[in-house]
Amino acid sequence: MIDRPYDVLSYALLVHAAPYSEQGALSALRFAQAAVAQGHRVSSVFFYRDGVHNASMLMAPPQDEVHLAEGWRSLAQEHGTELLVCVAAGLRRGLMSAEESARHGREAHNVEPPFVLTGLGQLVDAMLGNDRVITFAP
Amino acid sequence: MTDDETAPAADTQPISLDLLVILRHPPHGSSWLREGVDVALVAAAFGQAVGLLFQGDGVFALVEGQGAGPLGQKGTHAQLAMLEMYDIERLWVSASALRARGLTLADLALPALALEADEIDHLVHAQPRTLLF
Amino acid sequence: MMLHLLNRSPQFDGIYWDLSEAFGAEDHLLLIEDACYAALPAAAASLAAFGGRVSVLSEDAASRGLLDRLSDGVTVVDMAGFVALTATFPRSLSWF
Repeated sequence: MIDRPYDVLSYALLVHAAPYSEQGALSALRFAQAAVAQGHRVSSVFFYRDGVHNASMLMAPPQDEVHLAEGWRSLAQEHGTELLVCVAAGLRRGLMSAEESARHGREAHNVEPPFVLTGLGQLVDAMLGNDRVITFAP
Repeated sequence: MTDDETAPAADTQPISLDLLVILRHPPHGSSWLREGVDVALVAAAFGQAVGLLFQGDGVFALVEGQGAGPLGQKGTHAQLAMLEMYDIERLWVSASALRARGLTLADLALPALALEADEIDHLVHAQPRTLLF
Repeated sequence: MMLHLLNRSPQFDGIYWDLSEAFGAEDHLLLIEDACYAALPAAAASLAAFGGRVSVLSEDAASRGLLDRLSDGVTVVDMAGFVALTATFPRSLSWF
């Protein structure tokens, strides 16, 4: 089953797992890297619930650990993957772009491109517009 | 007397929606249920035909008499009251989940259909897209 | 035909039951993360409902020291095999 040739597919990933607290975020990144290595397209990764913390540009893991945000950024830069962060889940948990920060009268922000704050409608679009949707959770 | 479209027999046939959302978590203790229902509501607002399947502790989402929490947690009862407004009227519950928790359909605040295991299998396999929360 | 992904240890038996209700005759189950512990012979009862159509992710089993202890009926797939399973099965559903 595993050796048979198959079509190139487009994937959307849905990530609920927080970075470093649970393996789910690492599993999602590993899966994305393996999918693009096989020639598939990972069109978008949608970060929801505690998964939004994957988008923090202030993430600073020890040097001997995988840098998850860096891993996601590489995926976006090398393979054109959209990194979509649920704005409602993000704002509740303190994830803000420069634009949202200004809107809320804050002095700092921690979300920058290629991570983009967006609505749940983008998750619906991702579900409708891709061949596969794979969820990674805590 | 004539059969109408709300007859239970029609509801037990697998129906194909655009999206089935399976809810397995109870309200209040985590936001799984709340953020899962949010996805269902947004998908419905985007014109998708959405149904909900409650399994495990998710069936507690439908129990009558819920309210807000002491620190103002909204819970999900208000959200569930919005389902009909968004045309989310297909609600299924696991019959075994109800039995294991000493509940019956009469304990639920919204009309739902109880499904045995083989019916849940058929329901899930009839859907093009399923998300679980 | 669905691929079910599961990441919870068999000590969470409620989720194994819920999954079994949705598991169809042509479905397949892939154990990842802490669900790898279900691939131990002592946990065979937790997989009884899945008719031998069960795989485990090799890197997660290896990191947990389980590769030499797996039940005979569970096949081992690597990360490329995980991707291949999601390509083979038109739909995937994650249980957690």
